[in-house]
Amino acid sequence: MHCTDACVYPYPDGDSTIRRIALTARELGLDSVVVPGAVPQSFRGVEIVGAVFYRKSHPGSGRVPNGTQGAGWVLALAQAGEYAANRALLRSGNGMVLRGLHATPKNSFDHILSRIAAEKGIAVDIDFSPVIKERGSPRQRALQKYADVIRLHRKFDFPLTVSTGARSVLEMRSPREMAALGRLIGLERQETQEALATVGRLLFPGKAVEVVG
Amino acid sequence: MKPRPPTLRENRRYVLVRVEPPWPVAENRVIYSAVAEAVTSLFGDAGVARVQPAVIAGGPGWAIVRCIRSTEEDLLAALATVTCVDSQRRALRPLRTSGTVQALRRLLCAVETTPVTGGEEVIYGGRTFSPVRYPGEKVDLFEKGFKSQEPLFLTAEDLEE
Repeated sequence: MHCTDACVYPYPDGDSTIRRIALTARELGLDSVVVPGAVPQSFRGVEIVGAVFYRKSHPGSGRVPNGTQGAGWVLALAQAGEYAANRALLRSGNGMVLRGLHATPKNSFDHILSRIAAEKGIAVDIDFSPVIKERGSPRQRALQKYADVIRLHRKFDFPLTVSTGARSVLEMRSPREMAALGRLIGLERQETQEALATVGRLLFPGKAVEVVG
Repeated sequence: MKPRPPTLRENRRYVLVRVEPPWPVAENRVIYSAVAEAVTSLFGDAGVARVQPAVIAGGPGWAIVRCIRSTEEDLLAALATVTCVDSQRRALRPLRTSGTVQALRRLLCAVETTPVTGGEEVIYGGRTFSPVRYPGEKVDLFEKGFKSQEPLFLTAEDLEE
């Protein structure tokens, strides 16, 4: 898993089936996609990683071996919120992905939470959907917030993931496009490539993930 | 007016873009409007003046977008934010950037897609759709009888189930 879109929503949440998403991912140069609630599987060479939304009451690793849903892996995602909720989530989880920081109140993710994320190997997701779909102030706020996350990432070195949050194949983007979008928030091309490989690193922490492309 | 000599012209870059879905075919004019709107909303008027986007050619499922050299990355970022062309949901996917149009035209045969429209109606999720099939496995479904049609994107395997 060198190139993963860290969150897409297929039919019925979106308008594209999981197979069509996998076909499009392959065309775009992605080798895996993370789909909340999906059964882990592989289609035409594209790995579909299931995801569960993490609750504080379910402590443990972000990697959830899933014997009952098929031979695959499930990634733990957590929805970011206010500062206290984020702190509680970060303190109780390991190796998961914190999503939705663009929609949180001001100062909900700071240097203290960055340090905890770095210590626990918790990734912060850069969801490009507001950059792609929104216009005006919602997009400006998202760009501002992500630029702040990138600054903290450079200082504390917590992992980053990138996702499109696509609800349609038309909203999915290639690694090249994500690198171009990443430039808007100050991400270098190499950093975007590393972020695309982070899901593989979270699921297989023992295995070194080589960055290609 | 005499044309400017090549050495005094600005260097340009050309981006081959795949238009999805390719059907119905979008005119170059409406693709240009979508690209210009995306560049303006992302980089402002000064950004448009710097990038100077233009759609110089187009066909079923593709377009060639021109920009000033060294602004390709800005153009790619703007293209990634295009979600609508002429009020229809579409994606403009950059495939290749080149310094000449000729180099991109050589790739066109691989990009051009001719979907098969019509055929038998399809029932999916309890609703009736008209299918548009593409070479390979892709099938787009357009709901019948609705003025503003929101398509569904499937594969042939999904329809068989």
